[in-house]
Amino acid sequence: MRKGLLMSSVVIFGGLLVAAWMVHGTGVIKNDPEASISIPDELTSKLQVKASYDGENIWFRYRWPVERPSIFHDVLVYQDGEWVKQAGEEVGPSENFLTEDRVSMMIDDGSVPLFSRYGGYITIGEGLTTFTGVPETDEERTKYLPETRTDPGDFEAMKPESDLETLRKAGYFIDLWQWRSSRSNPNSVGDDGLVSAERSGDKGTGPYTTNWDKALNQPKVMFDPAIVPGGALNIDDVIGGVITQDDTYALTPAVAVPFDPTLAWKNGDTIPRRMLREVSGSRGDVVEPTVARWEDGFWDVTLVRKMDTGNTLDDKIFREGGSYDLAFAVFRNASTMRWHYVSLPTSLGLGQPAELQAVKFAGDEPAWDQPWYETTVFYPGQVSWPLLTNPEKHPGADKIAERVPVKFRHNPEQLAAYGVEIEFADQIKRQWFLTLLASLGLIAALGFNINLLMTRKES
Amino acid sequence: MAVYHILVVHFPIALWLTAALFIFFRVFSNSELANRLQKAVWPLILLGSLAGFVAYALGLAIYPISAITASPLGRNHIMLATWTLSYWTVMGIIGYRYRRFLFDGAQRWATFLLTLIGTIVVAITGTLGGSLTGTPSLVTKSLGKIGWDVYMTFYLPTWMIWGFVFGAILLVVLGWIGHRSRA
Repeated sequence: MRKGLLMSSVVIFGGLLVAAWMVHGTGVIKNDPEASISIPDELTSKLQVKASYDGENIWFRYRWPVERPSIFHDVLVYQDGEWVKQAGEEVGPSENFLTEDRVSMMIDDGSVPLFSRYGGYITIGEGLTTFTGVPETDEERTKYLPETRTDPGDFEAMKPESDLETLRKAGYFIDLWQWRSSRSNPNSVGDDGLVSAERSGDKGTGPYTTNWDKALNQPKVMFDPAIVPGGALNIDDVIGGVITQDDTYALTPAVAVPFDPTLAWKNGDTIPRRMLREVSGSRGDVVEPTVARWEDGFWDVTLVRKMDTGNTLDDKIFREGGSYDLAFAVFRNASTMRWHYVSLPTSLGLGQPAELQAVKFAGDEPAWDQPWYETTVFYPGQVSWPLLTNPEKHPGADKIAERVPVKFRHNPEQLAAYGVEIEFADQIKRQWFLTLLASLGLIAALGFNINLLMTRKES
Repeated sequence: MAVYHILVVHFPIALWLTAALFIFFRVFSNSELANRLQKAVWPLILLGSLAGFVAYALGLAIYPISAITASPLGRNHIMLATWTLSYWTVMGIIGYRYRRFLFDGAQRWATFLLTLIGTIVVAITGTLGGSLTGTPSLVTKSLGKIGWDVYMTFYLPTWMIWGFVFGAILLVVLGWIGHRSRA
């Protein structure tokens, strides 16, 4: 009997271990829109990049997979006599595909300490908009660089304006290029911005503005009825993906006319909440040679800018023989804000050794015959720079103090896993501790069991 | 402190795995050599546990507790190290109490299975330590292929924790029943 009990006990112990293996890591991680938590189905993706220059302009070409392109952003939908805003900025992916696809690129020329080692992580302060527990504020609490604050962990602790100007003149800012499938692409432009004390646009006029007349409580413009019958799209067509890039879908100056409230509007009529406009100034430096298209499951986007725009307080100037650092972000599956995929920093060389080698060309446009530089982009979660640099919260804080590059210790897959876990840090830690206690009890019980069940022949 | 942990931690690993090797040899052999080696099993295991306690303490002193328990990989390493140390200590006590009888009849297969589990746990703990210092091994990648991404915390859902608690109670009860049947 005792031998039978002994073998049964070993089997029970082994069975519990196998069961634990099968179900571990479940029961905690789940989406919670109230807490601003939405975990993407895919934690990593790929981005391909090429770069070329001719001495006057620099070209970047980006290609990334998107199962269904999202070419709309927020829209105004006519419903029972009112124009109601739908989507735009949502927690996680927009179910109705009313959040545009995007790609962005941060650029530094070595003026921002640590960017080459940690990339966009250094721009993530504490308490930014969409972080769990951060209350909604009138103004978005955006990315910022740590030295623009007296306390890098305090969004409100902004340094005096004179200090910020000094930093800016010293090149302490990140150039930020963006391409938006809805708010810039239809006009064949990008969006030139920067990150310094906040994320903002360069000086000048950006590619879009809000299509809403507050005084009249109605859209400012609508589609020209001669181009789009009725002056509006239909929400079911918009949501259902019936309207594609081959149709008129954006309020570009060429197709927009002043809004006419006397038209026979019907429920479901839909007008984009953003109207596109001509860009100007430094904000308009980044353009497209042609409107980018989604084909065969990929966006293929090309952006061009003068190597030297002359706007040294807004732009990083590219020079022959120069070395630069880049960090990319891809917005796919109709997601925005922090629900993006980011890359680790990537070096760029113009005639210099680098991960991404810009190829010099002669002629009107690049041949693009060089191989793609492919990088893994990942969901970053709610990991902030103040957390990463705090030795009480991050075991690698001492390595950051020693300026050990993030790539030396971490890879994108690992960082994506950490990004998810940090969103459930307290719950996971509690569950882990309970698991530790229960498993210790199980091991002790096994010892007790075997000590009682094993036999000595002479006994 | 990290260097001392790395230095010391190889002692329990070597001692436990040597003991496991002797056990496996003895399970499959009744030769004189196997019998001689079997006599070294419990001292090797308990010496390993002694060195393991030192390595465990040194390991906990590397990072602030708040920091290492905030890291999924850190949590996993602590979890597996705790399992390894407690498990092999239990094995050492059993080895001391039963010595050659561990290999009597069907008991040898229980001994074999328990040692196999212990060997696996040591291997995983070691590879997690390597991953923590930035040198993941093939074992790390293999664990991912069979269901555990070691960069995510190993924790159980609450119902499974209760399963462990009831399992522990059941093991104690079974042991007690068997003990009474002998009496």
